[in-house]
Amino acid sequence: MQTEATLAQSDVSELDLVKRCQAGDTEAFDELVTRYRTRVFGMIYNMVHSEQDAWDLAQESFLKAWKSIGRFRGQSSFYTWIYRIVMNVTIDWLRKKQIKGGGTEFDDGIQLREIDPASKTVPKTEALPHQAMERDEIRTRIEKAIGQLSPEHRAVILMKEIDDMQYHEIAETLGCSIGTVMSRLFYARKKLQNLLRDVYENV
Amino acid sequence: MKTFEEKWTAWLDDQLSGSELLEFEASLPDKAAAQAEKAEARKLGELLKRELTTHPLKNEDFFSHQLREQIVRESDEENRKSGARRSPASTWWTIPRLLWAGTGSLAVFLICTVLVMHQERPAEESQYLTQILNARVDPVVSPNATVSIFEVKQDRATVLWTEGLQTLPADYAAK
Repeated sequence: MQTEATLAQSDVSELDLVKRCQAGDTEAFDELVTRYRTRVFGMIYNMVHSEQDAWDLAQESFLKAWKSIGRFRGQSSFYTWIYRIVMNVTIDWLRKKQIKGGGTEFDDGIQLREIDPASKTVPKTEALPHQAMERDEIRTRIEKAIGQLSPEHRAVILMKEIDDMQYHEIAETLGCSIGTVMSRLFYARKKLQNLLRDVYENV
Repeated sequence: MKTFEEKWTAWLDDQLSGSELLEFEASLPDKAAAQAEKAEARKLGELLKRELTTHPLKNEDFFSHQLREQIVRESDEENRKSGARRSPASTWWTIPRLLWAGTGSLAVFLICTVLVMHQERPAEESQYLTQILNARVDPVVSPNATVSIFEVKQDRATVLWTEGLQTLPADYAAK
């Protein structure tokens, strides 16, 4: 199987892959999945804070993308298009979860998960136990703070701060106006600043 | 016309320029406090980026494998559904099939019934019994006569019990 790195270097353009998908080529779709699965999973994980749920929602999103790839007209990038599906699936799921009211917002069982050694955020040298605990604590605080935002506010702040998406791209993904995106960003930032001030001031 | 929230967000992200930027900064009551908040927002963004940057997807190959299997499963199901929708003839053909099945069942039922009835048909009545049954005891000649018949069909045996007969019928074979 091709890795993401080799795929990035390949000459196969995204549009060619999409056209092949539209002709029913599952291998082409597999290549697109390989390109985007990590980013999609990461974004969903930051929204739902559970690996299992993020896995299932990512699967559901890609499956929906495959089913509706025939309707993709190439007016936006494939990534923006699939992001829209991902956000719809995830926000719907979060809303249903909120309505049901059952279960906890956070999966406490995975708070002390392993950190990817290849991650940019991990120091080269092995962290001391107290440092690792501190990092876990910070992540837990951040996840809890994000958990207090509405699904729409979560989506906007994560797309802006983590994925560096432009206002118009976020608006396109969420199917709302640029003004709405900016307004949501305003309130999401204010709330997170209140909740995390001591964290970012002391780190 | 942008709202304050929109302008503030654009200002934080350095998206304001020219006269718009000057107007907005001039409208701020406390520029130093606003700058401090802008710096805070930057710190928040850095913190989020540092701590939440792409969570690793473990078992990437299994993820793709599971997805491929789902796609194949869904495609098969979709083909089955569309196949059923596309060929109404296959639905139509079930009617003759049903008719044939019904006719066949009826024929089997009839054959079985005939066989059972044939097996259960009583043994041919004996000549004597027929004669007795056909005969009528003359009530004038034998007013107190009674005739009883005991029959065991499987043994092909019939016992005729008569009492009070003055005479036997003239056509009685036993005579």
